[in-house]
Amino acid sequence: MEEGGLQVERLTRRFGDLVAVRDLSFAVAPGELFGFVGSNGAGKTTTMRIIMGVLSADRGDVRWNGKRPALEIRRKFGYMPEERGLYPKMKVLEQLTYLAELHGLTASAARASSMKWLDRMGLAERANDDVQKLSRGNQQRVQLAAALAYDPELLILDEPFAGLDPVAVDVMSEVLREQSQAGTAVIFSSHQLEIVEELCDRVGIIRSGEMVAQGTVEELRQGGPRRYWVGTSGYGWITAVPGLSVVRRNENETLVELADGVDDQAVLRAALTGGPVHEFRRDVPRLSELFRHVVSEANDVKPPTPTQRRREE
Amino acid sequence: MNSTLRTIGLIARREFVTRVRTRVFTIGTAIVLVGITAYLAFQILVLSKQTQTANENVAFVGEVTSLASPFTAAAKTLDYKIVRKPVANEADGRTQVQKGTLDALISGSATSPHVLVRDHFPAGLQAVLQALARQQALNSQLTAAGLNPATVNAGLATAVVTVDTIKGTAAQRTEEVIAGFVVAVLLYVALLTYGTLIAQGVVEEKANRIVEILLSTVRPSQLLIGKIVGIGLIGLFQLSIVGVYAIVVASLTHVFTVPTVAIGLVLAGILWFVLGFFFYAVLFAAAGSLVSRNEEVQGTVLPITVLAIISYFVAIGVVTPMFTGAPMTSTGILLAMIPPISPVIMPTGMATGDIAPWQWLLAIVLTLLTSAGATLLAARIYANSVLRIGARVKLREALAGPR
Repeated sequence: MEEGGLQVERLTRRFGDLVAVRDLSFAVAPGELFGFVGSNGAGKTTTMRIIMGVLSADRGDVRWNGKRPALEIRRKFGYMPEERGLYPKMKVLEQLTYLAELHGLTASAARASSMKWLDRMGLAERANDDVQKLSRGNQQRVQLAAALAYDPELLILDEPFAGLDPVAVDVMSEVLREQSQAGTAVIFSSHQLEIVEELCDRVGIIRSGEMVAQGTVEELRQGGPRRYWVGTSGYGWITAVPGLSVVRRNENETLVELADGVDDQAVLRAALTGGPVHEFRRDVPRLSELFRHVVSEANDVKPPTPTQRRREE
Repeated sequence: MNSTLRTIGLIARREFVTRVRTRVFTIGTAIVLVGITAYLAFQILVLSKQTQTANENVAFVGEVTSLASPFTAAAKTLDYKIVRKPVANEADGRTQVQKGTLDALISGSATSPHVLVRDHFPAGLQAVLQALARQQALNSQLTAAGLNPATVNAGLATAVVTVDTIKGTAAQRTEEVIAGFVVAVLLYVALLTYGTLIAQGVVEEKANRIVEILLSTVRPSQLLIGKIVGIGLIGLFQLSIVGVYAIVVASLTHVFTVPTVAIGLVLAGILWFVLGFFFYAVLFAAAGSLVSRNEEVQGTVLPITVLAIISYFVAIGVVTPMFTGAPMTSTGILLAMIPPISPVIMPTGMATGDIAPWQWLLAIVLTLLTSAGATLLAARIYANSVLRIGARVKLREALAGPR
């Protein structure tokens, strides 16, 4: 993981007494789509701001292709902040051109690229309107165009899907996928976990400033609590197996969770003692369930995180 | 370095272009131009009233009547308009002088005229009449001596006194003071207007959060300087429009008789606008960066506004006595050396020549040094607070550094 792309190493940032980010590490390779999920206030925005260099870290490092990115390099990072920001009284095209020029493009290249992206966002005919005349959704498209107009090598998008209509969500997803296929490293945060699940190569779950789980969607789902749907008519057998707990119970089937070290075959054998077993199926949680699970693991007894578990296995 | 300049240039260009197109700029400039026109019109009215010639109702009786035309002509050069009144005889004239319908009754011979007035005959007019009477007496003596008075007078006409002024006339000086004062007022208004505009611009970027995007590619100091340069250029542009207009109108209407005064003044005005603007602008920008909402701007820039107002009143205090022709006091010159005050006093001091070149060079150096210090301080405050959205940032925290 040391070659190219973005490496975030043991990042820590405090605001007064509040630790916004603690020992946070992750990496995103060129061409990779990395989804950043976590509750509000978990530290996603702070992390992104530190990567973009608009905030400084108390400890830790951000590296791009192995080096600390200076301003000249950060110029090739595209950024869409959580708090959207554009000059409301500036014309759309002028604004995009200006931002692209600030990122090092020549005037003509900036203009051409801005127009190209406006066209792509379906806003070509609004190019000469003031930004404030656009709807919120359209302003958001302009904001995305602003982050893309200078062909960034790293794209950081804070909640790009928030407030978009379904069509815009599709456009945004498509653009992100294209960008990563073209070799751009993409990081975005979102609360829309279905989109994250569908779109991302890898996902990081952050809680209270710490990365609690990280991996491909498949890894994370497999790494969640081991649960099985067991189709039996009786339930008496369950109590006979130590380390087995009931999560949910339907008419003809029971969802059981296996504690660490409990053999699934032993569970099946125990179930058979209670009568015929019509179903025995691993329940792989969706990302949203996993997220709820990980995030709700409050401060009390901290069970091993999927990452740690994988390491132990 | 190159990219730094390019970045600052881009930022300044955006500030200039987007603001120069606004209605605020067009209307604002128009209002100032109308104001200048009104001021000049007022000046013309006042000045023409001051130089208005006094009417003197004069009646001539007897031989002295032959002096009436040369007397009227000579009196005119002294700004007296002689209105000749007919009188029936000397007694009638005396009655009219008594009633006040006649200012002066001039009777007697041409060589020894007799003037009757109620209480006072202007000394200038008396001198004119005296000279004419003497000329008359001289002429008859010349004729008696066999000389042609016309030839002698022509010879006399070549003997003239030439007057050269070193410091300019009193009238010119008053003009310089008035003009310097007007420039100071314009500067003061421009500094406050554009200073506030800078603070608002900073807050606007904070309020609509674009500052986060900008700062991911631009250093805070670059953003700060670009903004100040862009808005400063607008101010300079507007001031130049106003200045050129004022010179043209003033010279067309002859309010300023000395165009060099006006041109020197505009140059001094521009110099001090640039110096003063930069000094105040960095302070305004730093103050603006402490708050996040436009409604809070007035409050946060108050200390700087107060500083400008105090400087302005000090300038008025120094300049006002000069209207009567007094030179700038040494206290005034000393005050003009203090950077926040310099921009509003210096134009007057430079226009009148009351402040010596070495003194204004010193003031320029002092202003530049203070501005450099203020810039460092402001850049620090700005960088530390421009990303802190929400509650007003305390000055101490902003100075302390990132935390």
